[in-house]
Amino acid sequence: MQDFLAYTVLGLCLGSVYAIAATGLVVTYSTSGVFNIAHGAVATMSALMYWQLRFDWNVSTPLAIIFTVCVFAPALGLLLEVVVMRGLRGTSEVTRLVTPVAVLIGINGAATWIWFRNSNRALVPKKFFGERNIKVLGQAVYYHQIIGVMLAVIVAGALYVLLYRTRLGVTMRATVDDRSLLMLNGGRPDRVSVASWAIGASLAGLAGVLLSPQLGALQVFALTLLVIDAYPAAVSGRLRSLPLTYVGAMVLGLSKLYFDWISDAGQRWLVLRNLRNAIPAVLLFVALLLLPQDRLRGAIVARTRERFRVPTMREAVLWGAILIAAIAMLQSLMSGSAVISLANGIALSLMALSLVLLTGYAGEINLAVFTFAGVAVIAAWQFDVGPNGLATKQSMSVAAILLAMCVCALVGGLIALPALRLRGLYLGLATFAFGIIVYQLVILQIQTLHFSLFGWKASINLFTTGSLTVPRPHWFGINFGGQRAFLMLMTVLFSLIGVGLIALRRSAYGRMVVAMKDSPAACATLGLNIRRLKLGVFMVSSAVAGLAGLMWAAQRRTLPNNADFDGFASLTLFMIAVVGGIGYVSGALLAGIFLSVLSIVMPNIFAKLGADYPGLHWLFVTFFGNFSHYVGPALIGIGLGKNPSGIAQQIMNGFRPLRKTPAATAAWALSVVGLWALTWRGFVSNWHFTLIIIASVVIVPRIIMSVFESRFADEERAVTGEDLDLIGLERAFRPSDRQVFDDAIGLPPVASGVSRAPS
Amino acid sequence: MNFGGAAALTDVNIAAAAGVITGLIGPNGAGKTTLFNCVTGLLEPTSGSVSLDGIDITKLAPYRRARLGVARTFQRLELFTSLSVRDNIRVAGEIRARWSKSKAGSRAETDHVINLLGLTDLADRDVSEIPTGMARRVEMGRALMTRPKILLLDEPASGQDEQETEEFADLLLELCQQGTAILLVEHDVSLVMKICSFIQVLDFGRVIAAGTPRQIQTDPAVLEAYLGEDKTV
Repeated sequence: MQDFLAYTVLGLCLGSVYAIAATGLVVTYSTSGVFNIAHGAVATMSALMYWQLRFDWNVSTPLAIIFTVCVFAPALGLLLEVVVMRGLRGTSEVTRLVTPVAVLIGINGAATWIWFRNSNRALVPKKFFGERNIKVLGQAVYYHQIIGVMLAVIVAGALYVLLYRTRLGVTMRATVDDRSLLMLNGGRPDRVSVASWAIGASLAGLAGVLLSPQLGALQVFALTLLVIDAYPAAVSGRLRSLPLTYVGAMVLGLSKLYFDWISDAGQRWLVLRNLRNAIPAVLLFVALLLLPQDRLRGAIVARTRERFRVPTMREAVLWGAILIAAIAMLQSLMSGSAVISLANGIALSLMALSLVLLTGYAGEINLAVFTFAGVAVIAAWQFDVGPNGLATKQSMSVAAILLAMCVCALVGGLIALPALRLRGLYLGLATFAFGIIVYQLVILQIQTLHFSLFGWKASINLFTTGSLTVPRPHWFGINFGGQRAFLMLMTVLFSLIGVGLIALRRSAYGRMVVAMKDSPAACATLGLNIRRLKLGVFMVSSAVAGLAGLMWAAQRRTLPNNADFDGFASLTLFMIAVVGGIGYVSGALLAGIFLSVLSIVMPNIFAKLGADYPGLHWLFVTFFGNFSHYVGPALIGIGLGKNPSGIAQQIMNGFRPLRKTPAATAAWALSVVGLWALTWRGFVSNWHFTLIIIASVVIVPRIIMSVFESRFADEERAVTGEDLDLIGLERAFRPSDRQVFDDAIGLPPVASGVSRAPS
Repeated sequence: MNFGGAAALTDVNIAAAAGVITGLIGPNGAGKTTLFNCVTGLLEPTSGSVSLDGIDITKLAPYRRARLGVARTFQRLELFTSLSVRDNIRVAGEIRARWSKSKAGSRAETDHVINLLGLTDLADRDVSEIPTGMARRVEMGRALMTRPKILLLDEPASGQDEQETEEFADLLLELCQQGTAILLVEHDVSLVMKICSFIQVLDFGRVIAAGTPRQIQTDPAVLEAYLGEDKTV
């Protein structure tokens, strides 16, 4: 009993810190509608800043805390709101989720770059007052923990006073209720948003400082995850209620400590030794199950800026064939290492394809694509290789792939079930929690699992040796073991799945899926069982993710258990897929290529430039190389608010002139093929080929546009997609707009200098 | 029906007979749309029941009610803005075909409804590009594709000009003659008086008057609700 009470006290101490972290999330979400996934990254950055001040520069503890919590963190929050989040108005839930993901990746990348780039030193923060403690029921409770509890109480009191006793608080609550009405009554919701982001970031910073000593040495992603642990507390308060958030935080803290108590800190049952790290994710699931049914929503897309054009089947097949031909031609010019980079990109593109269906078409969210890849790999590996752990097969069998896809579909269905009645964000969080549970309990599992069912005994090795060797296919007499052949196999698969997705989108099923995304309420009143449709889409998407994951694993050949399964790789892929254009197959292609290029190719190019020009080594390697590796992917995600439909659409708009000038387009295509032939024969270098192609891609559509200007006058207006009702509101009225309005209402052209409407 | 402590609908008892257009009028905030949401299942009433052909459907999910024949349009447009006008209407038929295992949603049926509603010229336009009045017709067409027994129309004439409203009135009368029950919420009182056989008047969540258009026009409670205590303009 004494132990129970002692662990209860410790659990409440831990819960207090989680309460501070979760409260910050709630304050931000309830006033801006943005679930700040970057909350953990803000906490991490603040903890590192505190370490820098206190332990590296020896600033006094109070000064370091005050600067970190009251100046640095709020300034970071303010910056995020003004520079990034303000641009998210009028975007979909997906975009509002992705941009904080980009911020998370960017801040963590910057933190790694600043503090962990070349140094092997351990950054070890100490507790307030060191190891000084008091004994409670025989258990040491550190002053640090007591301070955490006191701060949680102070934060709760301060927030109550702020929200219910101050003008700012009333305005904050008014912003939640009706932002437009507040503006009509002279309120300044922008200022409120800035304040709430500053407060949220400040609380994240405080939580980061309080939690960081738990880790021993600071690690960027580990600390971020520690703060992400507070999600279930925020969700249990439905991201709105501060008292319920506090209750959720206490349950979370107590659960962790009770597990420590009954499991001897995880040593009693080795199979479950990582369960402690998965407890927040498990509780997140429980919280999702307990949340009441969401009201059916409607008119979502009507208020958002995302628009995705659906290609015809002819276009889809043509572009699929062009992709296969282009990759075949390109790989013939490329070195072995370049082919590997390209193949990595196509493998990631395949994985991003699963998100086109789920997120692009259905508007649902999966933040654990790599986890499904892991599930597929385990299923196929068990089937092909077996429990003895030896790679007895040289080829990945078709049966194993089908089995893996079925397993992924079933697992996806099970994960989606509790969140189907809730809206997209919660499904996203459910998948994120699933990713963490699988990572902690399955991927990191080094015990052999023994099963006995009705006398049938079996044992399963997961990642017992720390990695799996995944064979590549050898089908129909073709050995895809070689890198170039496997690249082509993946490209053909990408094209086939891509064409299949477009066919699905153009079918009755696809129309229902899109209708469900646009207005679930209207769909329900037309007789559509939304939950069943969502479940089906999620299962199909999970199966595609499984297939893609197998190809990705086979591309890597040896898959270590720390290979992108910890959740952050899935977040990054999701972000880049949205940036590429989540509603387009071409967006998925761009996503994979971007990810491969930004994280691998660009640093390599800068490294080579640094070696070639030693005088500019710092610029190329230290700055550009690290920048492109650590921060580059995040920056393009942060820019999403400006173009929520993605880069693929921008590129397609750029190429639109080619569709109206088939002769010029054919001439250009023939020139490209001719240039490739010259390069292949060695008359032109690869660098020149690349530069000429890039230049022609940029220049040719513009030349065609200027030569055939008259043909594109109407097209241009359609391409910009500007809502005429909003001209003059979203941007200043221009004299040229008069003609646009005249055209829109069917008035004949007027002679120059004659004004039809007052200026 | 309560929202927190506020009663949105109290003791409301409304019937819509087959082949009859029943008007439902009242000032803003009277509870008309809330009533529609309760009938279609988008809101769960705190107490009371909803019946269709004598069957209690109160506990049924919205999609099940739709399959039994309850269809509606929305005061705040709920169009599928990623789809064209034609596809908005077509998908409703396809949804019906999915659960009824019928051939609903065929091109011929879709074209028929598009013609019926005068949307032929706009059929291949993105639905987000068309005027509000036409968009309301698209919602109406979508509802018709479900082949409803009862059609709940929430301000369907708003955004339509005088001639369009006339055509729309004729269309509703035609539907009514085919045996569809129509419950019409509309602020265009002249339209309501013209085509409705029976009218219910809601104010502050209560039915304050019910009767024929002629009775409603002279009902003191209605005059007070619309014009205030003075009862003079």
